[in-house]
Amino acid sequence: MSDLAFLLLIFFVVTTTFAIEEGIPLALPGRSSSSTRVDASDVLEIHALAGGRVEAQGQSIGVTNVRRLVEQALAANPDLIVLLTAQRSAEYGLMVDVLDEIKLANCRRISLKTVE
Amino acid sequence: MRPSKFQRKNRVANTIPTVSMGDIAFLLLIFFMATTIFRLDSGLQVVLPSAESTENPGRERVASIWIDRDGRISINDRFVAASDVEGIVITTILGKPDAIVALNADEHAPYGIVSDVIEALKKANAARLSFTSEREERAVPPRPSP
Repeated sequence: MSDLAFLLLIFFVVTTTFAIEEGIPLALPGRSSSSTRVDASDVLEIHALAGGRVEAQGQSIGVTNVRRLVEQALAANPDLIVLLTAQRSAEYGLMVDVLDEIKLANCRRISLKTVE
Repeated sequence: MRPSKFQRKNRVANTIPTVSMGDIAFLLLIFFMATTIFRLDSGLQVVLPSAESTENPGRERVASIWIDRDGRISINDRFVAASDVEGIVITTILGKPDAIVALNADEHAPYGIVSDVIEALKKANAARLSFTSEREERAVPPRPSP
Protein backbone atom coordinates (compact mmCIF):
# COMPACT_ATOMS: atom_id res chain seq x y z
CA MET A 1 0.00 0.00 0.00
CA SER A 2 2.67 2.51 0.92
CA ASP A 3 4.63 1.51 -2.20
CA LEU A 4 1.67 2.55 -4.28
CA ALA A 5 1.31 5.76 -2.33
CA PHE A 6 4.98 6.59 -2.85
CA LEU A 7 4.68 5.85 -6.54
CA LEU A 8 1.77 8.25 -6.89
CA LEU A 9 3.57 10.75 -4.69
CA ILE A 10 6.65 10.73 -6.90
CA PHE A 11 4.44 11.10 -9.98
CA PHE A 12 2.78 14.21 -8.56
CA VAL A 13 6.06 15.67 -7.28
CA VAL A 14 7.58 15.35 -10.74
CA THR A 15 4.59 16.57 -12.73
CA THR A 16 3.52 19.46 -10.50
CA THR A 17 4.20 22.89 -11.89
CA PHE A 18 3.12 25.78 -9.77
CA ALA A 19 1.34 28.24 -12.02
CA ILE A 20 3.29 31.35 -11.19
CA GLU A 21 3.03 34.03 -13.81
CA GLU A 22 5.52 36.77 -13.51
CA GLY A 23 5.30 40.14 -15.10
CA ILE A 24 6.41 43.73 -15.14
CA PRO A 25 4.10 45.61 -12.76
CA LEU A 26 2.94 49.10 -13.60
CA ALA A 27 0.55 51.40 -11.77
CA LEU A 28 -1.69 53.25 -14.16
CA PRO A 29 -3.20 56.65 -13.51
CA GLY A 30 -6.89 56.23 -12.78
CA ARG A 31 -9.79 57.96 -14.43
CA SER A 32 -10.01 60.54 -11.67
CA SER A 33 -6.37 61.57 -11.60
CA SER A 34 -5.66 64.73 -13.51
CA SER A 35 -2.70 65.31 -15.73
CA THR A 36 0.30 66.96 -14.14
CA ARG A 37 2.64 69.46 -15.66
CA VAL A 38 6.31 68.58 -15.58
CA ASP A 39 9.40 70.48 -16.54
CA ALA A 40 10.60 69.57 -20.02
CA SER A 41 14.15 69.20 -18.71
CA ASP A 42 13.00 66.37 -16.41
CA VAL A 43 11.71 64.28 -19.28
CA LEU A 44 13.70 61.78 -21.30
CA GLU A 45 11.71 60.59 -24.27
CA ILE A 46 12.42 57.17 -25.74
CA HIS A 47 10.65 56.11 -28.92
CA ALA A 48 9.80 52.50 -29.72
CA LEU A 49 9.08 52.45 -33.43
CA ALA A 50 7.80 49.98 -35.99
CA GLY A 51 10.48 47.72 -37.42
CA GLY A 52 12.24 47.33 -34.07
CA ARG A 53 13.88 50.75 -34.07
CA VAL A 54 14.50 52.58 -30.80
CA GLU A 55 15.22 56.29 -30.83
CA ALA A 56 16.16 58.75 -28.11
CA GLN A 57 17.37 62.33 -28.23
CA GLY A 58 16.96 62.41 -31.98
CA GLN A 59 19.19 59.49 -32.77
CA SER A 60 18.69 55.79 -33.27
CA ILE A 61 19.88 53.64 -30.38
CA GLY A 62 19.56 49.92 -29.83
CA VAL A 63 17.47 48.33 -27.09
CA THR A 64 20.69 47.34 -25.32
CA ASN A 65 21.79 50.97 -24.96
CA VAL A 66 18.56 52.12 -23.31
CA ARG A 67 19.63 50.99 -19.85
CA ARG A 68 22.93 52.90 -19.92
CA LEU A 69 21.27 56.01 -21.31
CA VAL A 70 18.61 56.04 -18.57
CA GLU A 71 21.20 55.32 -15.87
CA GLN A 72 23.32 58.26 -17.04
CA ALA A 73 20.30 60.56 -17.24
CA LEU A 74 19.14 59.43 -13.77
CA ALA A 75 22.57 60.13 -12.30
CA ALA A 76 22.45 63.65 -13.74
CA ASN A 77 18.84 64.27 -12.71
CA PRO A 78 17.23 62.12 -9.97
CA ASP A 79 13.78 63.60 -10.74
CA LEU A 80 13.88 62.19 -14.25
CA ILE A 81 10.69 60.96 -15.86
CA VAL A 82 11.11 58.57 -18.76
CA LEU A 83 8.45 58.99 -21.42
CA LEU A 84 8.15 55.81 -23.45
CA THR A 85 6.49 56.70 -26.72
CA ALA A 86 5.44 53.67 -28.72
CA GLN A 87 4.09 53.63 -32.23
CA ARG A 88 0.77 51.84 -32.72
CA SER A 89 2.30 49.69 -35.42
CA ALA A 90 5.32 48.76 -33.29
CA GLU A 91 5.54 45.27 -31.85
CA TYR A 92 4.42 44.83 -28.26
CA GLY A 93 7.58 42.81 -27.56
CA LEU A 94 9.80 45.78 -28.41
CA MET A 95 7.86 48.01 -26.02
CA VAL A 96 8.26 45.40 -23.24
CA ASP A 97 11.99 45.13 -23.99
CA VAL A 98 12.43 48.90 -23.67
CA LEU A 99 10.23 49.04 -20.55
CA ASP A 100 12.32 46.21 -19.05
CA GLU A 101 15.54 48.12 -19.70
CA ILE A 102 14.08 51.29 -18.15
CA LYS A 103 13.02 49.29 -15.07
CA LEU A 104 16.46 47.68 -14.84
CA ALA A 105 17.99 51.17 -14.79
CA ASN A 106 16.02 51.69 -11.53
CA CYS A 107 13.79 54.34 -13.01
CA ARG A 108 10.53 54.51 -11.06
CA ARG A 109 8.79 57.34 -12.90
CA ILE A 110 7.69 56.08 -16.26
CA SER A 111 5.06 57.49 -18.57
CA LEU A 112 3.54 55.66 -21.52
CA LYS A 113 2.42 57.40 -24.65
CA THR A 114 1.09 56.07 -27.94
CA VAL A 115 1.51 57.75 -31.30
CA GLU A 116 0.36 56.89 -34.81
CA MET B 1 31.14 -10.29 39.17
CA ARG B 2 28.38 -7.98 40.24
CA PRO B 3 26.71 -6.09 37.35
CA SER B 4 27.67 -2.43 37.11
CA LYS B 5 25.32 0.15 38.56
CA PHE B 6 25.05 1.89 35.24
CA GLN B 7 24.43 -1.07 33.05
CA ARG B 8 21.09 -1.04 31.33
CA LYS B 9 18.77 -3.79 32.17
CA ASN B 10 16.61 -3.70 29.06
CA ARG B 11 17.60 -2.20 25.69
CA VAL B 12 15.31 -0.44 23.27
CA ALA B 13 15.23 -2.11 19.91
CA ASN B 14 17.43 -0.10 17.50
CA THR B 15 15.13 -0.13 14.48
CA ILE B 16 13.48 2.83 12.78
CA PRO B 17 9.73 2.60 13.11
CA THR B 18 8.33 2.50 9.58
CA VAL B 19 4.73 1.97 10.47
CA SER B 20 3.75 5.60 9.89
CA MET B 21 5.64 5.83 6.58
CA GLY B 22 2.55 5.08 4.51
CA ASP B 23 0.60 7.72 6.41
CA ILE B 24 3.26 10.33 5.66
CA ALA B 25 3.33 9.33 2.00
CA PHE B 26 -0.44 9.60 1.74
CA LEU B 27 -0.42 12.97 3.48
CA LEU B 28 2.11 14.33 0.99
CA LEU B 29 0.19 12.72 -1.84
CA ILE B 30 -3.02 14.43 -0.81
CA PHE B 31 -1.15 17.75 -0.50
CA PHE B 32 0.23 17.52 -4.03
CA MET B 33 -3.09 16.34 -5.45
CA ALA B 34 -4.86 19.27 -3.84
CA THR B 35 -2.36 21.90 -4.92
CA THR B 36 -1.70 20.70 -8.46
CA ILE B 37 -3.15 23.02 -11.07
CA PHE B 38 -3.29 21.75 -14.61
CA ARG B 39 -2.77 24.71 -16.89
CA LEU B 40 -5.82 25.51 -18.90
CA ASP B 41 -5.50 26.39 -22.52
CA SER B 42 -6.69 29.89 -23.14
CA GLY B 43 -7.62 29.20 -26.74
CA LEU B 44 -5.13 31.75 -27.99
CA GLN B 45 -1.61 30.99 -29.09
CA VAL B 46 0.50 33.50 -27.23
CA VAL B 47 4.27 33.71 -27.15
CA LEU B 48 5.04 35.92 -24.20
CA PRO B 49 7.87 38.41 -24.38
CA SER B 50 10.82 37.86 -22.08
CA ALA B 51 12.10 40.36 -19.57
CA GLU B 52 14.60 40.49 -16.72
CA SER B 53 12.81 42.83 -14.31
CA THR B 54 9.83 40.54 -13.72
CA GLU B 55 8.11 40.27 -10.36
CA ASN B 56 5.52 37.91 -9.01
CA PRO B 57 2.29 39.90 -8.85
CA GLY B 58 0.82 37.71 -6.12
CA ARG B 59 -2.28 35.64 -5.78
CA GLU B 60 -4.86 38.43 -5.75
CA ARG B 61 -4.58 38.79 -9.53
CA VAL B 62 -8.09 38.39 -10.83
CA ALA B 63 -8.32 39.14 -14.50
CA SER B 64 -6.14 37.87 -17.29
CA ILE B 65 -6.40 39.55 -20.63
CA TRP B 66 -4.93 37.64 -23.56
CA ILE B 67 -3.94 39.23 -26.84
CA ASP B 68 -2.58 37.11 -29.67
CA ARG B 69 -0.33 38.16 -32.52
CA ASP B 70 -3.29 39.03 -34.74
CA GLY B 71 -4.65 41.42 -32.12
CA ARG B 72 -7.55 39.24 -30.97
CA ILE B 73 -8.47 39.88 -27.34
CA SER B 74 -9.67 37.17 -24.96
CA ILE B 75 -10.85 37.63 -21.38
CA ASN B 76 -11.84 34.62 -19.26
CA ASP B 77 -11.66 32.32 -22.31
CA ARG B 78 -14.04 34.45 -24.35
CA PHE B 79 -13.21 36.56 -27.36
CA VAL B 80 -14.14 40.18 -26.83
CA ALA B 81 -13.97 43.36 -28.87
CA ALA B 82 -11.62 46.13 -27.77
CA SER B 83 -14.62 48.37 -27.05
CA ASP B 84 -16.06 45.81 -24.59
CA VAL B 85 -12.91 45.49 -22.47
CA GLU B 86 -13.79 48.42 -20.21
CA GLY B 87 -17.21 47.07 -19.21
CA ILE B 88 -15.94 43.53 -18.61
CA VAL B 89 -13.01 44.73 -16.49
CA ILE B 90 -15.30 46.98 -14.42
CA THR B 91 -17.57 44.03 -13.53
CA THR B 92 -14.60 41.71 -12.92
CA ILE B 93 -12.73 43.93 -10.47
CA LEU B 94 -15.86 45.24 -8.74
CA GLY B 95 -15.16 45.37 -5.01
CA LYS B 96 -11.53 44.37 -5.43
CA PRO B 97 -9.56 47.61 -5.33
CA ASP B 98 -6.19 45.82 -5.12
CA ALA B 99 -6.87 43.66 -8.15
CA ILE B 100 -4.05 43.24 -10.61
CA VAL B 101 -4.90 42.81 -14.25
CA ALA B 102 -2.39 40.58 -16.00
CA LEU B 103 -1.87 41.44 -19.63
CA ASN B 104 -0.68 38.37 -21.53
CA ALA B 105 0.08 39.73 -24.95
CA ASP B 106 2.03 38.05 -27.70
CA GLU B 107 5.41 39.63 -28.33
CA HIS B 108 4.46 40.18 -31.98
CA ALA B 109 1.09 41.76 -31.19
CA PRO B 110 0.71 45.27 -32.57
CA TYR B 111 1.20 47.76 -29.75
CA GLY B 112 -1.85 49.74 -30.89
CA ILE B 113 -4.22 47.02 -29.65
CA VAL B 114 -2.33 46.75 -26.36
CA SER B 115 -2.52 50.52 -26.02
CA ASP B 116 -6.30 50.43 -26.56
CA VAL B 117 -6.62 47.83 -23.79
CA ILE B 118 -4.45 49.93 -21.44
CA GLU B 119 -6.67 52.95 -22.14
CA ALA B 120 -9.75 50.84 -21.37
CA LEU B 121 -8.15 49.73 -18.08
CA LYS B 122 -7.47 53.34 -17.16
CA LYS B 123 -11.12 54.20 -17.80
CA ALA B 124 -12.21 51.18 -15.74
CA ASN B 125 -10.02 52.45 -12.87
CA ALA B 126 -7.98 49.24 -12.94
CA ALA B 127 -4.81 50.94 -11.77
CA ARG B 128 -2.63 47.89 -11.23
CA LEU B 129 -1.39 46.26 -14.37
CA SER B 130 1.20 43.58 -14.97
CA PHE B 131 2.80 42.86 -18.33
CA THR B 132 3.18 39.09 -18.09
CA SER B 133 6.48 37.94 -19.48
CA GLU B 134 8.82 35.00 -19.33
CA ARG B 135 11.67 35.43 -16.89
CA GLU B 136 14.90 36.04 -18.70
CA GLU B 137 18.02 35.17 -16.77
CA ARG B 138 20.15 38.15 -15.98
CA ALA B 139 23.13 38.35 -18.27
CA VAL B 140 26.32 37.41 -16.48
CA PRO B 141 29.00 40.01 -17.17
CA PRO B 142 31.91 38.49 -19.09
CA ARG B 143 34.76 37.42 -16.90
CA PRO B 144 37.82 39.64 -17.36
CA SER B 145 40.55 37.76 -19.15
CA PRO B 146 43.66 37.24 -17.03
